[in-house]
Amino acid sequence: MEILKASNLKKTYGKGSVEVHALDNVSLSVNKGEFLAIVGTSGSGKSTLLNMLGGLDKPDEGEVIIDGNNLQNMKDEEITIFRRRKIGFIFQAFNLVPVLNVYDNITLPIELDGKKTDKKYIDELITILGLKEKVKSLPTQLSGGQQQRVAIARALASKPAIILADEPTGNLDSKTGLDVLGLLKTTCNKYNQTLIMITHNDEIAQTADRIVRIEDGRISMN
Amino acid sequence: MTDYFLTAVFGVVALASVIFALTVRLRCKKTMNRLDDILDEALSGSFKVKEFDESHVSSIENRFSDFLQSRLTSEENILDEKNKIKEMISDISHQTKTPIANLLLYSELLSEEESLSDEGKESVEMIHAQTEKLRFLVDSLVKLSRLENGIVALNADKNSVNELVNSVTAELLSKAQSKKLKIIAKTDKTDNITADFDMKWTREALLNIVDNAVKYTDEGCVEISTDASDVFVRIDVKDTGIGISEEESSKIFQRFYRATEVSEEEGVGIGLYLAREIIMSEDGYIKLKSVKGQGSTFSIFIPINKNLSKMS
Repeated sequence: MEILKASNLKKTYGKGSVEVHALDNVSLSVNKGEFLAIVGTSGSGKSTLLNMLGGLDKPDEGEVIIDGNNLQNMKDEEITIFRRRKIGFIFQAFNLVPVLNVYDNITLPIELDGKKTDKKYIDELITILGLKEKVKSLPTQLSGGQQQRVAIARALASKPAIILADEPTGNLDSKTGLDVLGLLKTTCNKYNQTLIMITHNDEIAQTADRIVRIEDGRISMN
Repeated sequence: MTDYFLTAVFGVVALASVIFALTVRLRCKKTMNRLDDILDEALSGSFKVKEFDESHVSSIENRFSDFLQSRLTSEENILDEKNKIKEMISDISHQTKTPIANLLLYSELLSEEESLSDEGKESVEMIHAQTEKLRFLVDSLVKLSRLENGIVALNADKNSVNELVNSVTAELLSKAQSKKLKIIAKTDKTDNITADFDMKWTREALLNIVDNAVKYTDEGCVEISTDASDVFVRIDVKDTGIGISEEESSKIFQRFYRATEVSEEEGVGIGLYLAREIIMSEDGYIKLKSVKGQGSTFSIFIPINKNLSKMS
């Protein structure tokens, strides 16, 4: 089942002689439960693509459809709410709230949405990700790998349709990176989550079900 | 006087509107609360119709109950289907065993027949090889269906990683030697390491991967090495075989997918898929690194702790 479809995405920055095609006619289809890695050198357009898939940026041409919803037809406020409910984000810099403890960081997106937390599910996530003894700790008391595991739990907390990860292991050493990736992969697998991840590390990309290579704003291998 | 009267009328009307607005609001809130409760009850499976009157809520309750009932029926149907599949799988598993064993036995007996012509001998060998293939296929499919339909549960206990690797290496030693391949196990990094995995099934997964490495390597060696991190135990199976292109590297884990180069070789395209299913149901994963023409490295990652709760 197709959960995400991007067709003919184009994005150009600058005008005239300084025109840069960040994305040049990119089309992509992702199935539910799939783990897709997007690889490419820096400046290839992979971050621009991920931002568009997550509704953080709008393409000049083309459209993105997630779970049957066309992002191009939505107002900005609708996209914000849609993103909170349907998309989980994981960033290279973890982006945890420093004054909140681990548990509160994880449940933050649910609290923002005014929903009741599914306590059983959250506890299960915390156990799987090995954070049981750290729930009361503050982010600064954790190692990098542990912080990224909290970010994974936070991304999964609202049971989104898709997880978008931008260089999730970029700040970690290679062994810790593989650990975090493995946990991300197994949790996504357990909850039948779709995962789209950007990386420039081949070893990390090899853990994906499918690799998409992007060069100069174009998909060179799919 | 009229002013006084008008003010009084106005006051009464205003009061009446406020009371009316409050009542509507209260009723609306009550309805929303009831709907909220209905959903909570439905999610916890305790939903029962509470109101039988002419109200809208009561009508919604009744229709919702119908909806839940129809869903329950379809769930029961699915369970029925699943039980039928279970029976079918166990029938296939039991009933094909004897004829296949007999085929193997009689083809062996026939091959010992001295009066057989060379052509005859060749045919008998083919029959024997194809029957072996059939046995592997039926076995793998039965295992796979059992795994995928939740008929067997994997029993993840504390097991030694080195024991797993050594037992697989020992089993494939003679097969590797017959192709003049070296098979090396480097397990010094995991001497005292145990992890939570099902020995029988994980052995099956690793065996399939190492067997493939031996099958698709014509010269050089197959090296199995182990390592452990905070979360996972890692088993690398490295060969100097034909390698797999980046495009094909994710496809080879699909059911019945055969890489273009190996279509002539024996094999049925189920081993890697089964291996992946087994490792995934243990919350682990398999990673492949390969360069065409230079060999492949399959890495199996198994969680050290099955619920990882004791992890640092």
